[in-house]
Amino acid sequence: MRTAVLLAIAIVMLVVWIFPVAWGLLTSFKTERDVLAYPPEVIFEPTLVNYHDVFFGGASIVPNLISSLIISGLTTALTMLFAIPAAYALARLDLPWKRATGFWVLATQMLPPVGLVIPYFLLLRKVGWTDTYQGLVLVYLTFALPFAIWLLVSYFEEIPREMEEAALLDRAGRLRALWHVILPQAKGGIAVTVIFVFLNSWNEFLFAVVLGGNTVRPVTVAMFNFISLEQTQWGRLAAAAMVGMAPVIALGLLAQQHIVKGLTVGAVKGGGRR
Amino acid sequence: MSAAVSLAGIVKRHGSVTALAGIDLDVAPGEFFSLLGPSGSGKTTMLRILAGLERADAGTVRMNGRDITALDPGERDVAMVFQSYALYPHMTVRDNIAFPLKMTGETPAAIERGVNEAASRVRIEHLLDRKPGQLSGGQQQRCALARAIVRKPALFLLDEPLSNLDAKLRIETRVELKRLQRALNVTAVYVTHDQEEALSLSDRLAVFMDGRIVQVGTPEEVFSRPATVEVAGFLGNPPMNLLPARLDDGYAMIEGVSLHLPALAVFGKREVMLGVRPSAVRLGAHGLPGTVTMCEALGEDFFVDLSVGERLVRAKLNGGERPAERSQVQVALDGRALHVFDRQSGARL
Repeated sequence: MRTAVLLAIAIVMLVVWIFPVAWGLLTSFKTERDVLAYPPEVIFEPTLVNYHDVFFGGASIVPNLISSLIISGLTTALTMLFAIPAAYALARLDLPWKRATGFWVLATQMLPPVGLVIPYFLLLRKVGWTDTYQGLVLVYLTFALPFAIWLLVSYFEEIPREMEEAALLDRAGRLRALWHVILPQAKGGIAVTVIFVFLNSWNEFLFAVVLGGNTVRPVTVAMFNFISLEQTQWGRLAAAAMVGMAPVIALGLLAQQHIVKGLTVGAVKGGGRR
Repeated sequence: MSAAVSLAGIVKRHGSVTALAGIDLDVAPGEFFSLLGPSGSGKTTMLRILAGLERADAGTVRMNGRDITALDPGERDVAMVFQSYALYPHMTVRDNIAFPLKMTGETPAAIERGVNEAASRVRIEHLLDRKPGQLSGGQQQRCALARAIVRKPALFLLDEPLSNLDAKLRIETRVELKRLQRALNVTAVYVTHDQEEALSLSDRLAVFMDGRIVQVGTPEEVFSRPATVEVAGFLGNPPMNLLPARLDDGYAMIEGVSLHLPALAVFGKREVMLGVRPSAVRLGAHGLPGTVTMCEALGEDFFVDLSVGERLVRAKLNGGERPAERSQVQVALDGRALHVFDRQSGARL
């Protein structure tokens, strides 16, 4: 009985999640005429013209994909560069104001992004960084970093303290203990964090549309351009969405194991410390 | 070279809790020295201060005369075996053992040599390519030992290293540990709450209670002449029986019964706590009237629980007839086998 209920819930959730994706996938293979047919056609003659347009046409999104890749890659790399030492320090060292710092790191996540768009825009314009990679990446860091730190702290705390105490006694010193002993053991957590940070910046739209421009236009914003006042190019929009989604899905599948393990961190606390 | 360790006035507080309240201790080079005490007595904190993993709030730590109080763990020439072993799970046994040598920048040839030597000393040469997760508890323990001895430290710290092993393996490893320490001629400081381990392994030991050292001595000294009532009540299995008594020039009033014990005449008149080892209790014709409440046969010995007045007295009888439960007996005390402690201070008289 219980399994039946759970199964039913799972099916409902799956349908709710899958429906828009499946709809988008179908739409991406339709001609404009088929898209607008009413009642909607499930059986139609598939065409690759939308994909061709999206890749090679006048409104090619390839430059935007590269833009997205640069922004997400840079954001992820910089985030990890700063987040790993910060999270390690928060997890391990006896710092004054540690609790308070940890709280404010998290508190930055509570601000609604919409409230920040205008101030960020004004700030970036002042230093001439609107429509630049460094401007957008800098803004992305403001929310990627706290998130990554918060996530990584829980992974570092999972690793027994004896590990680095042993490494310290073995003359590794703090940095080498971190590099040789702690990081290899936090590999799963780091992978999860990299993926989440990358996906968050890949999918980001609001800041990109306001703070970006002609030079810096990630794929999310480019897609938006298929919607105009006169006409919405549903087929191309869907094809662009599918292409934009591909890396997300690929990354997700690649790291599926890590993600599931990572999300259940702390669910079972083993071997607490004195 | 094995190290002489000297601790003076070590104080450590964790918040409002005083973990160590002034520790003075000297360990001689090459000595196997145990810190024995119940959990929470401060012995592990003391070891961690020796390792440099914690800083003392006051006091100095010296090694071979050099003040190392403020040095980092890596600068102290100490190695430690953790209770959890703390093996690096992502490295093979070989890499685990090699790690301290790699950190000090030894040549690959020297690392190879060192790893092989350390591994053969603890007989795990055949396990070098495994990961710690693929080892049994005993093998993990030996891997941790190999990692600790590989760079030939002057001081060897062991934090309850046998507590995760099963009983049989624990006794085997105990013997091996002692042999290893002797062969390497290294000073060892060993933390344990297991008195049997401490008594069998140590050259000398310190008994910790509530953040203080209450007694230092050889196992024989500590066992045969406990310095306080607490030590007396902690050591021995089962521990010493403690009976409050009033001494009066060779007579002792215990549980309302007066016994003539000429050996106690030297203590004059005073309130005391009398300690008697279970093995020194006899069932005889004259003594304290008691009732046998329980009798366990353990091989050659009987462990007998006796109720004497309102007290429980445990006796270990060697051979003879098994006393019947609920039988009335006389509990004889030999004045020369009694330990006399001051009632107020608990100190040995």
